[in-house]
Amino acid sequence: MRSLSVLRLRVSESADLTPTVRRFVLRDPAGLALPAYEPGAHVVVTTPAGHKRSYSLVDPGGARPREYTVCVRRENDGRGGSTSMHDDVTTGTELLVSAPVNRFPLLPSPEYLFIAGGIGITPIRAMVHRLRAEGRTGARLLYLTQSAEETPFLQEFDGPQDTVHHSDDRGLLDLWPYLAEPDDDVRVYCCGPAPLLRAVRAMTAHWRVSRVHMEQFAAAGSGFSLPFTAIWAPDGRRVEVPAHLSLLAALRRDGIAVESSCEAGVCGTCRLALLGGEVEHRDSVLTGSERLSGVVACVSRATSPEIVIGPHGPSRRDFS
Amino acid sequence: MREIRVRQNIHEHVHAISGAFVVKGRGSVRELFVHPVKGLGAQPLDRVWLRPGGGMPNDRIFALARPDGGHRPGTRTGLSKKEFFALVSDHRLAGLDTHLDVESDVLTVRVAGHDVLKADLGTAEGAGAAVRFFTRVLDLPAGTAPVLAREPGRRFTDANALGDGPMNWLTVVNLASVRDLEARTGTTIDPKRFRANVLVDGLSAWSELDLVGQEFYLGGVRVRGVRRTKRCAATEVAPGTGLRDLPVVTLIQRTRGHHFMGIHVEVLTAGLLEKGGEVVVGSAPAGQRVG
Repeated sequence: MRSLSVLRLRVSESADLTPTVRRFVLRDPAGLALPAYEPGAHVVVTTPAGHKRSYSLVDPGGARPREYTVCVRRENDGRGGSTSMHDDVTTGTELLVSAPVNRFPLLPSPEYLFIAGGIGITPIRAMVHRLRAEGRTGARLLYLTQSAEETPFLQEFDGPQDTVHHSDDRGLLDLWPYLAEPDDDVRVYCCGPAPLLRAVRAMTAHWRVSRVHMEQFAAAGSGFSLPFTAIWAPDGRRVEVPAHLSLLAALRRDGIAVESSCEAGVCGTCRLALLGGEVEHRDSVLTGSERLSGVVACVSRATSPEIVIGPHGPSRRDFS
Repeated sequence: MREIRVRQNIHEHVHAISGAFVVKGRGSVRELFVHPVKGLGAQPLDRVWLRPGGGMPNDRIFALARPDGGHRPGTRTGLSKKEFFALVSDHRLAGLDTHLDVESDVLTVRVAGHDVLKADLGTAEGAGAAVRFFTRVLDLPAGTAPVLAREPGRRFTDANALGDGPMNWLTVVNLASVRDLEARTGTTIDPKRFRANVLVDGLSAWSELDLVGQEFYLGGVRVRGVRRTKRCAATEVAPGTGLRDLPVVTLIQRTRGHHFMGIHVEVLTAGLLEKGGEVVVGSAPAGQRVG
């Protein structure tokens, strides 16, 4: 089983939704249907500059979608992925795109409370559209942005169940009135910047944890970071990996060149061969069997005091 | 190590017990905590009266027992912590800000600064409200609920599984050891993760582990170190957030080669334990027990 099947898709439309958010529609060049997806799914796009980035699909999807639509917010202070998408991609550009992966699935529930912050609207939009298309009521949306100008899809969310709140006008929205009364018949879905996720997590401490769903692109892990020693098999050198550095960063600091791209455990570029020791895999790219012999250096860490690693070698399956 | 004869003014009973008690280290009591409900919030104290063989008053006098476990109303023997809901298994409990008024038995739970439960655990109605509340927080399936455990004269400390004496042991954590662990691992470790009754400072790092089998003074109270405190995953939970975010047990294991942080102590004399009180460790001459 391949960890991520890769499609070559063509940008059939691109347009600015806001001054910083651009929408891209991706289709098969031959017009074929694309692999299925459901609300909450994302794809990994290789930008023209070579970055690999996860983007949520903004449409509800289905069994045989004709297109994948992603929205990319330009992050001028970022690591270059979003600027490459904005500056280097136009209609007609072909991009390598992974098949959709869904780590934020929409589960059945009598009612929903969706909380989206900024570009976090992307998976939430897919969910709200799916439910409303089915004629479902009880899908309440809180959409938190800075300003009307910076609100993608603003015109879509003006119904009685929608609250669009701009912090430039009215400060931060107090979420407590919406979360004060835990309700087992409501599922909360939240996607947005880390402070919003923290706030919602704190304010749902008295809810059933099974009713609270948070999107996080970086692969789930324990979040623990322990120091350990990596032994680089080609020359036997011992590389100390302190708690505050990734394996990838520690190897580089020691002069060992390892290619990488997303540095969030989703693209697999920095995969290394795992030759000894125990690892907590925090990536979202390796399959169970691949994890026996591989480690994604940007996010995964040793659980034994030492691990032995080396180049991944000829069987690499990344996009390059 | 420089050994100093105990000064007249430190503890009158040090003198009374043994003029030969040789002081080997001094520190101070920094903070005192009681955890009235096992697994729920720490409540700071300024001072507390202790008595010989007694525990920390009101510490772990309530617990949320597992419905399918060994606890039944009237159980008078100690049980493993596995029989209770607690941070080791249920880290989200730490996301609640809880306070038990030990005079009235009213439990208040706050989330993000708002009251979400106010229940008099002394009444059937209040206990029922608390059980319903924690059934939801623990995300228990329909038809199951935690048992609100309270047995007069008993406390649900982890050590209670060892017997009725150990049930009343206090836990002491040395802040110098916590700082040493932080420095060695490049982490920030809130000492409240260890949920100890007494935080002390001024002793050398890890020296408290050598106090097992020794008698020493916490403020005006003479205690005996009885056991090193072996740490579990409860310490991985960040106080106040309910997130497991730091592998404290592994950090200790990696840097020290053991799982201990702090010690259990048995109270030997009646007295007042106060914040700011002096900690005096020392030894009697060979072959002579203090006291």
